[in-house]
Amino acid sequence: MEPLPLVTRDTDGVAAMEILAGHPASGVVVQNAQGVVEAVVPGVDLLRLVVPRYVLDDPRLAHVYDEAGAEELVTRLRGRTIGDLLDDGRVRPRPVPPSVLPEDTVMEIAALMCTERLPLILVRDRAGRLHGGIILSRLMQALLDLSGTGR
Amino acid sequence: MQAWSAVAVFVAAYLLIASERIHRVAAALGGAAAMVVIGATDSDAAFFSPESGVDWNVIFLLLGMMIIVGVLRQTGLFEFLAIWAAKRGKGHPFRVMTLLVLITAVASAALDNVTTVLLVAPVTLLVCERLGVPPVPFLVAEVMASNIGGTATLIGDPPNIIISSRAHLTFNDFIVHLAPIVVLLTAVLVVLCRFLLARDLTYDPERARLVMALEEREAIHDPQLLRRALAVLALVFAGFVLHSVIHIEPALVALLGAGLAVLVSRMGPQHYLAEVEWETLVFFMGLFVMVGGLVEVGVIEQLGQAVVDGVGDRFLLAATVLLFGSAVLSGIVDNIPFVTTMTPLVADLVDAGGAQAHGLWWALALGADLGGNATAVGASANVVVLGIARRSGHPISFWEFTRYGIVVTAVTVTLCWPYLWLRYFL
Repeated sequence: MEPLPLVTRDTDGVAAMEILAGHPASGVVVQNAQGVVEAVVPGVDLLRLVVPRYVLDDPRLAHVYDEAGAEELVTRLRGRTIGDLLDDGRVRPRPVPPSVLPEDTVMEIAALMCTERLPLILVRDRAGRLHGGIILSRLMQALLDLSGTGR
Repeated sequence: MQAWSAVAVFVAAYLLIASERIHRVAAALGGAAAMVVIGATDSDAAFFSPESGVDWNVIFLLLGMMIIVGVLRQTGLFEFLAIWAAKRGKGHPFRVMTLLVLITAVASAALDNVTTVLLVAPVTLLVCERLGVPPVPFLVAEVMASNIGGTATLIGDPPNIIISSRAHLTFNDFIVHLAPIVVLLTAVLVVLCRFLLARDLTYDPERARLVMALEEREAIHDPQLLRRALAVLALVFAGFVLHSVIHIEPALVALLGAGLAVLVSRMGPQHYLAEVEWETLVFFMGLFVMVGGLVEVGVIEQLGQAVVDGVGDRFLLAATVLLFGSAVLSGIVDNIPFVTTMTPLVADLVDAGGAQAHGLWWALALGADLGGNATAVGASANVVVLGIARRSGHPISFWEFTRYGIVVTAVTVTLCWPYLWLRYFL
């Protein structure tokens, strides 16, 4: 289990990118003021807002885009909160992932991940408090360690 | 009774197309089906009659050119040209706009308008972002250049393809009769852009440096593909121009070119068929069958006779009405069904008037093509650019476009009148 890349609806888009940049997860988890998970915003949706729309329309322009214009890329997200992006449909949140209990076994978590076909499982206690999350790569490492073949 | 039924079907389908209450393809196919049901046309007429059936020359010319464009699009040529133009303009907004207008006009004469703006608009957004100027004036200028440039050639705008097929006009006829006025109109457009669109654009040396840093050669990933595609395009144009020598119809030239382009590009069908607008091709087929129904039941003949009697030998008046009437109607409704309906009537007038009435074809082409600039929905290219602008966060409202479009259309169409008068009716 590890800490999740947590944000709130008030988190600035650039700040959300910075949080995700320092984390192996593929999206940020949006919590409300009570600590309840509301949504998971895929990182690739944030990326789509940074890449100019004209490059998405004409991918050949990606070849001519040099670093001289790179400083303006991230400014597209500045001043826009995660709540703004969710409300105007610019990002499409994934459903809140299912959760396991802190005492659940690796096999229980693996089985849930396989059944739900999700690379992220939340960890909550019986009171519903969020403790963190388990991502696919960490789970695989745990399985390798258990089988004695881990690095 | 059958004639009135055919007229009712035609009017109902036309109203549905114009009002966009249902999709235009559904309206055209529904109208064609209704013509069959009421007995106005049959399979022999619809599929095989040169006068009242599907004009396969138009369909296959469009199909061939769309496939060639599908290959050409992958080369990055347009991105290269647009960035090259921006650099040649040294980052001065109006110079850059002028060069982009000229490139768009020339490209639209060689390819179709929608493809041209689809290729030029994204790179324009990049250049404008680097220049720190609003892209809307550039996009509006380009779409207008596209509609004006496309007027110059047989393949530049779909109405010209319909007119060429029905009037048996060659590629060279269009160049000789329309290209001179289009060159003048493009120059006038540049002047209009200076006062209408480029008034508030300012030069920023620091921003210009960012444009000069763009490397246009990076847009061309496969130089061999570019060379091959350009060679095919050159052969196709040679085929169009040498029609009187080689006697191969433009539709066949385009199909042969398409086959050659597919062969030399070694692309998969998902690439070279990506540009084929099946919707447009099916729309054309439905329209041809629908108008063919009117021809079969004699409505067009009677209408044509009435028009011929009404016009008499006042061909300048007829050309004036055609020019301005086509421009107004093309600004409001799709010019493809309008021209499809008008060509049999104009053919009757030209047949009756002989050489002195020949200018009517050019009045129809100029009015229908240039009228597309009048409103935001006047031409497919306008709708496409408005969509690109909206997605990029620079929405252009209907009235914002139309405000400029009406001025440009009024000036360009009015300039065509003395051209027609001096060249064909004096």
